[in-house]
Amino acid sequence: MLKINNLHVSVGDKPILKGLTLDVPAGEVHAVMGPNGAGKSTLGYALTGRPGYEATQGEAAWNGADLLALDPAERAAKGVFLSFQYPIEIPGVPALTFVRTALNAQKRARGEEEVSAPAFLKLVRAASQKLRMDFDMLKRPLNVGFSGGEKKRMEILQMALLEPSLLILDETDSGLDIDALRIVADGVNALRSPERAMVVITHYQRLLDYIRPDRVHVLAGGRIVASGGPELAHELEAEGYDKYLPQAA
Amino acid sequence: MAAVKETIDAVAALEKYAHGFTSDIETEFAPRGLNADIVRFISEKKGEPQWMLEWRLAAYERWLAMEEPTWAAVKYEPVDYQELFYYAAPKQKEGPKSLDEVDPELLAVYEKLGIPLKEQEVLAGVQGAPRVAVDAVFDSVSVVTTFKKELEKAGVIFMPISEALREHPELVRQYLGSVVPVSDNYFAALNSAVFSDGSFVYIPPGVRCPMELSTYFRINASQTGQFERTLIIADKGSYVSYLEGCTAPMRDENQLHAAVVEIVALDDAEVKYSTVQNWYPGDPATGKGGIYNFVTKRADCRGDRSKVSWTQVETGSAVTWKYPSCLLKGEESSGEFYSIAITNGRQQADTGTKMVHLGKNSKSRIIAKAVSAGKSDSTYRGLVSVHPKATGVRNFTQCDSLLIGKECGSHTIPYIEARNGSAHLEHEATTTRLSDDQLFYAQQRGLNEEEAVALLVNGFVRDVMQTLPMEFAVEAQKLVAISLEGSVG
Amino acid sequence: MSALNIRDSSTFPSRRVEAWKYSDLRRWLREAPEVSSAVAVSGDGPWAGLGGDQLAFGNGAAAGADAFVGSGEQVLRLRFVSETSGTGHTAAARISARPGARLLLLESHEGAGSGYVAHNRLEIDVAPGAEVTRLVLVEEPEDAISVTEAEVRLGEGARYAQTIAATGAKLQRLETRIVHPGQGADVRMDGVYALSGARHVDLTSVVDHQGPDGRTSQLAKGVVRDTARGVFQGKIVVQRGADGTDARMGHHALILGERAEIDAKPELIIYADDVQCAHGNTVGNLDESALFYMQQRGLPADEARALLTQAFLFEVIDRIDHEGARERVREWLGDRL
Repeated sequence: MLKINNLHVSVGDKPILKGLTLDVPAGEVHAVMGPNGAGKSTLGYALTGRPGYEATQGEAAWNGADLLALDPAERAAKGVFLSFQYPIEIPGVPALTFVRTALNAQKRARGEEEVSAPAFLKLVRAASQKLRMDFDMLKRPLNVGFSGGEKKRMEILQMALLEPSLLILDETDSGLDIDALRIVADGVNALRSPERAMVVITHYQRLLDYIRPDRVHVLAGGRIVASGGPELAHELEAEGYDKYLPQAA
Repeated sequence: MAAVKETIDAVAALEKYAHGFTSDIETEFAPRGLNADIVRFISEKKGEPQWMLEWRLAAYERWLAMEEPTWAAVKYEPVDYQELFYYAAPKQKEGPKSLDEVDPELLAVYEKLGIPLKEQEVLAGVQGAPRVAVDAVFDSVSVVTTFKKELEKAGVIFMPISEALREHPELVRQYLGSVVPVSDNYFAALNSAVFSDGSFVYIPPGVRCPMELSTYFRINASQTGQFERTLIIADKGSYVSYLEGCTAPMRDENQLHAAVVEIVALDDAEVKYSTVQNWYPGDPATGKGGIYNFVTKRADCRGDRSKVSWTQVETGSAVTWKYPSCLLKGEESSGEFYSIAITNGRQQADTGTKMVHLGKNSKSRIIAKAVSAGKSDSTYRGLVSVHPKATGVRNFTQCDSLLIGKECGSHTIPYIEARNGSAHLEHEATTTRLSDDQLFYAQQRGLNEEEAVALLVNGFVRDVMQTLPMEFAVEAQKLVAISLEGSVG
Repeated sequence: MSALNIRDSSTFPSRRVEAWKYSDLRRWLREAPEVSSAVAVSGDGPWAGLGGDQLAFGNGAAAGADAFVGSGEQVLRLRFVSETSGTGHTAAARISARPGARLLLLESHEGAGSGYVAHNRLEIDVAPGAEVTRLVLVEEPEDAISVTEAEVRLGEGARYAQTIAATGAKLQRLETRIVHPGQGADVRMDGVYALSGARHVDLTSVVDHQGPDGRTSQLAKGVVRDTARGVFQGKIVVQRGADGTDARMGHHALILGERAEIDAKPELIIYADDVQCAHGNTVGNLDESALFYMQQRGLPADEARALLTQAFLFEVIDRIDHEGARERVREWLGDRL
């Protein structure tokens, strides 16, 4: 269970999250929707420990582990995975090398046995086929020169290989055409399981046609201001976020 | 496209050097040559306090002990410092009380230059026309300063530095030489000893100067060195935009211009300093004559969050040696240098900037565009340095050079010195020729070759042009076209 | 060719000499050191296993020939071995490649002992149509001073590729001057440095394009830690008439120590108009967002930094064509990061 209680997060001197409370039980998919600038990406970064996103108050725990006390790699080893809205390019480091190094670092941190090179290659081949990715692309430096869609698929491929337990998807649909969106969504849905929790951060309802949420929350002004079932997403699509925006002072 | 039209019109109305006329004005000279007595003569002429005379004499002593620098990529006939006149002033009985008392010949000069000296005319002009306060420096002395009253109301002091020495001696004494010490370099020492006028600006705390301030320099007298001194102090939280324009008549001899500009920016102050330098470049075919432009310009961003921005359009002078710089001492202080250097004929320019990062989180930005044509030579020389205690420093530098013709040269010599692990410095430079394809394309659409060149070059320098105040940008665009005349075909 | 003579202290440049602005030899070396005695050179050095002939100098003295003429396809190990304390020596070698030759020149500077002064002078002539690849591994004690000067003359259509990998010394300068005839001749001139402690390295080069249609591609990268100092001075000259020149230079450095220093002076001196020239220079530290991204995927911060640093430098190594030699340089550098 992901338990976030009264979380306050500042970027620089600017408070972005102002008392956010949210529970996501294992086995469930929760969508967090909201207008631009509401703090959606900040939530993802705060949970994963990006430098510069400082939690000034409140708690966030995953399966009982206090996330805020851990460094980003330790959080990853606890199973927390953030699919970036804009995946980072890493020149000079081939995608394959990167993912294997990351997987083994996580396994080491958990006291598990590392994966051998041949076993890893086998895993990658299977996973990349499912996502219809060209295996040769994985020999290129990670994300360098990849298209927007390729980068997103690369995120989902890493997700499949690292097998995280808490998945945070930040605007995963942005930059995807309809075919790519379906492939990516299939990849995500394949990971749904009773042990896993997912937080799907999105501005549009479109993605939720493919990744069906159990609950929908509205994030505005740094807080969760409304929660409901999947129907809430449709309502937002039809009516917009206006009624949740703070009155112009 | 008004600007383009302007450019085309300017090209169509080409003259070799539009400002190359001389004016027949009665002039008072100091005796030829330089010695301690000349320094005393200048100081006495100006009615200066004793400390100022001593300051000048000390500078003169330092100058005697120094050697003329030779490291710049310029070659020129050595200056015979004993052959020059160090003081030349348009003859007048008393300082003019109003414009009516100024020699009409002199006013005609500025009228020819298109410089608005008559406030009423400016005010009577087209609605919305920019109001610019002008200090006009003719040879060694300031002849007139406009809009004084209105500036006084805002608390802004804008006057000839000779007058400021009498009226605000404490301010001048506190800041003069504090940015460019007398011993800084050969030409700065010379200037400190013999400068005869220039502008003084003080903006009080929190004041946004209500109009652009401007100084127009003109060297008129023959065999005269011009050594003006400008001192700008922007007190806490103030803002000023300052423009400087320069012209000189066509003469066969080389004339020396060795100015010093000092800017002090205190906490949260911002100074924007723009120059359009159009000194006589010498004869394009023979290289005879022209101004030696050996200038020291430096800003001391000593206040936190202070900001100084240098913009220069350098089209004139036979030889230019000039590096407007920023000492970024304040935390989060910021320095900018935007430069267009155009050389043609036999001109030589060695110009650039120094950004010295001493304060934490200080940042700087350098955009330098050089265009070389004819048999000219142009060098960008710049320094970005980060001192050990300056954390979080950022710099971005872009130097682009455009070559027109086979006989010119274009050089880029940056120095990058980082002594702090958190610095982030980026430098890019390119050198290319004017594209034949673009040239042909423009010609196919009906521009003649010179119009096409002017159009393309104005495109090349556009990023910098846009940082100029509007009223200067139009003039600068015309200059670009004029100074490239004869560069093709 | 060079004015520097370690037997004559009046030839030691100070920082007042523009070309030595950032490497003040006079500061570290005031008097001419005592002359080193010759020493035998054993083993095959860091290029062992890649075959070829050997030209070796022990404390400046040639163990056998001091010149080599290459023809056809050949490999030559050129070894400058210093094994002494507090003394100084000069080595001079001449290498030439005949027309059509393809020479792989594997050079090493192997230092043992302490506080020595080594001055190496190298002349390389590449005949028209010949190709020389010069790969240089430099490893010396932290208190040594060494200056290596290479003068390279290329014929028309010649190809010359160079990669220097250095770990610095008290003052270590590797200077390359190339006379580039244009006429289709092609130069790749790369360098990589990884410095720690108070080490200093100076990569200085001048490529002088004298004829039309020459190409130069230069990439140098370095990392400095602690109080180390990396110096890059690259000058590309395009002479009048050298039209069609295409020259690109890049220097990129990471400062990984609060007190480390980078000084760079990338110069373009251009007298021809039909050219394409560019240089870029960056100084900074590791990309914070890449570091976070890697940590988010589970890599501990130190491991993420190491991987990024290595990837940063290996971009230079990957430009080496010869596979065996490339792998050797990767290993060599990887071990020293």
